Amino acid sequence: MDISQILVNTLVRGAELSLLAIGLTMIFDILKFANFAHTDYAVLGALFAYVFNRILGLNLVLAIIFAAFVGGWAGILIDQVVFKRLRKIGAQPVTLMITSMGTAIALRNLMRLIWTSHAKTYAVPLHKPFEILGARITPLQIGIIVVGLLSMITFHLVLHRTTFGKALRAISDNSDLANACAIDSEKMIRRLWFLASAYGVIGGSMIAMEHLLYPRLGFDIIIPVFCATILGGIGNPYGAMLGALTLALAENFILAIDLAPLINLGGFFDVGSIQISTGYKPAISFMILIIVLLFKPTGILRKK
Amino acid sequence: MPIINFIIYLLTMIGIYSLLAMSLNFQVGFTGLINFGQVAFFCIGAYTSSLLVVNAGVPILVGFLAAMALSGILGYIMSIPTKSLKSDYWAIATLASAEIVRLFALNEDWLTAGPFGVMGIPQILKDSISKDAYPVFYLLFVIACIIIVYIFLSMLTNSPFGRNLKAIRDEEELCLSLGKDTQKLKLQAMIVAGTVGGLAGALFAFYIQFISPENFKPIETFLMWAMIIVGGRGNFMGAIAGAVVIQLFNVSTRFVGNYVPLGSDTMAALRMTIIGVLIIVFLLYRPEGLIKEKKKVYDELAK
Amino acid sequence: MLTIKNLEKRFGSLKALDDVSVEVDDDCIVGLIGPNGSGKTTLFNVVSGFYEKDGGEIFFKGVRIDGLPPNKIAKKGLCRTFQVSKAPEKMTVLENMLLAAEQQIGEDPFSALFMHSRVKKSENANLARAMELLDMLQLSQLKNDYAGDLSGGQKKLLSLGRVFMLKPDMILLDEPTAGVNPTLRVQLMEAIKRLQQIEKTTFFIIEHSMKVISSICDKVYVLNFGQKIAEGTPEEIQQNGQVLDAYLGGP
Repeated sequence: MDISQILVNTLVRGAELSLLAIGLTMIFDILKFANFAHTDYAVLGALFAYVFNRILGLNLVLAIIFAAFVGGWAGILIDQVVFKRLRKIGAQPVTLMITSMGTAIALRNLMRLIWTSHAKTYAVPLHKPFEILGARITPLQIGIIVVGLLSMITFHLVLHRTTFGKALRAISDNSDLANACAIDSEKMIRRLWFLASAYGVIGGSMIAMEHLLYPRLGFDIIIPVFCATILGGIGNPYGAMLGALTLALAENFILAIDLAPLINLGGFFDVGSIQISTGYKPAISFMILIIVLLFKPTGILRKK
Repeated sequence: MPIINFIIYLLTMIGIYSLLAMSLNFQVGFTGLINFGQVAFFCIGAYTSSLLVVNAGVPILVGFLAAMALSGILGYIMSIPTKSLKSDYWAIATLASAEIVRLFALNEDWLTAGPFGVMGIPQILKDSISKDAYPVFYLLFVIACIIIVYIFLSMLTNSPFGRNLKAIRDEEELCLSLGKDTQKLKLQAMIVAGTVGGLAGALFAFYIQFISPENFKPIETFLMWAMIIVGGRGNFMGAIAGAVVIQLFNVSTRFVGNYVPLGSDTMAALRMTIIGVLIIVFLLYRPEGLIKEKKKVYDELAK
Repeated sequence: MLTIKNLEKRFGSLKALDDVSVEVDDDCIVGLIGPNGSGKTTLFNVVSGFYEKDGGEIFFKGVRIDGLPPNKIAKKGLCRTFQVSKAPEKMTVLENMLLAAEQQIGEDPFSALFMHSRVKKSENANLARAMELLDMLQLSQLKNDYAGDLSGGQKKLLSLGRVFMLKPDMILLDEPTAGVNPTLRVQLMEAIKRLQQIEKTTFFIIEHSMKVISSICDKVYVLNFGQKIAEGTPEEIQQNGQVLDAYLGGP
């Protein structure tokens, strides 16, 4: 597999992961806990998009937009019912994290109850892939990269051009000070959940469009998303994007490299081609996560 | 009679999971170590004992001891990052490590037979016990293990060592200021917990007589978490009670599936949804669990 | 006993401790005062090993201790209390006292499991000492209450009791009388004086009350904005112009 294909795959996967990582990192930073149910909100939205698209016959783009709204509201609802109470009684971040784990299990299996474990696909028209600089890329993949880019730019604008964004940055930098300035935190928190979950739904739908949609998808991607988040530094949305790209690159690159030259030691031995088995693909993000946690838990980028 | 066999099976599985719940409780409820990778001990214990016995012809007792030793060592390894990682980051790291262990078992088929798993694990004392009496014998064996582990763990938690662990859980800085080497204490706690988890794994392997990576997915860890959340942290009766409740629920709903016109996938989904909801409800409204931690009262000095 | 030389501690660009030098002699009670934010607790945190220093040296009983982790420093005989008392929620007052006991058998799994009778003996001995201290601090009736349920003042007393269980050579007390009622405050001061005389414990105390300082301290250091601005007897520093300025925010 040559470099340009690796790059294409990296951009696509990186776009998908950033949409998810960005929400996770903001929640982790502002509400101070690791939300294990984050990717499940995304899958919930993606399933709604499937309903809108396949069953109600809506245009795919519209379906995803509506689904993002549904996902955003779901994020708010779950916060009101579950996390808000714990916030009010001053529960420890680990308690919130464990509760989010319970939420993830409940949500995932509720989706399984309603939609069954069978994989689903969207009504995506099949097109022949293009050839760009030796790499093959489908229109869908180009669309994913574009959506990813546009979403990042939008997020940047929200963060820097809206009152909400400024309040978010204020709370992120210093929550006590922000409280003192009478920023209505509960309203901000609701809006944050909406934004984080909606972005997650878009990311989840992208992944589902490229691969398959099934209730367990949330669990399958939570660790890579955590990895991207932690790589980029908690609370840093640009870091989340960079972390996502870095992880995507690592995943694609590591599986492509042939270890034989290393082992052959320049002619000493003569081993045939050795590659890391693709069965380990999920393990790559786990390993990177562990390595980052061990050596630089604050991420490779400092907080902006 | 099939009902009796089913009850014995249920009790044996409750027993094996009780050990896992007690091990997790020792980490979470006593030391404050949030371990999301508990299933790794289960996995290493099961694979070590069965591979040694089936492939290397090692005596079963040695297999069990090796399982416990290797799991203890895994506990040691997992404890090392607690020095530099906060609880939530460490939890994520343990989740990732347990999955790596499982993926290793899945991919390295030269060692573990990969997805096909280890088959033909023999019964303990196969020649001495009749086929009919065997399930009862194994249940009694598991109960004996539970009693021994319960006694050992209770001795530990009632001792100055246990007191140090509780203090780490509640106020680690205070511990440091009183001269305690908290890192060493956590290490010791994890080795103990790992050993118990490994024992459970070996008991499981030799009961079911067939194991595969499918038995050791992350959801198992969260079932154990549901047990200690529902049953009660900070005490071992709570861990056992939690194992009883969750396993009873788990296994009985499988049974109910025979009478109710719902597919097995639907039953499984319903079951897990309820478990997820139970976790949330208990953490929100009854965080101490069904059986609360007891207050430690010292007897007056014997004059 | 404790010698601090040119200690520096920075948080980002803020100099929390700027070239601070302190001498605490054996068997003395030395006070540390200064306006809020002057670096007093930071000094304690660096000396006790909870913060890393950025410059300078710290000697305890002639041995360098800067850079050591807090538990090692405590084991060497230099202990501390916290400004906001630490009270483990699910542990009783007696458990807290026993936790702190200096000599304990059974603090590791092996001895806990296999040396039962020796553990019992050591526990009994420590129980006796714990009850003595609790009596002195008037906390005996609370011995089986959860530490988390105590009032602020009671938690302060418990912190004191805990650190006394360690039989340290020197204790850093961070605002020991804050939140304690006046009668008990006097009792506390008596206890500190008694410990200095009987067990020959050295004290370094952060305090806000000049009354307390004057009544028990042999010497006082004054910090302002991370710098030492005065040292001397309580009488001397009460008449020191710079000190008065610091507290009154003068020119």
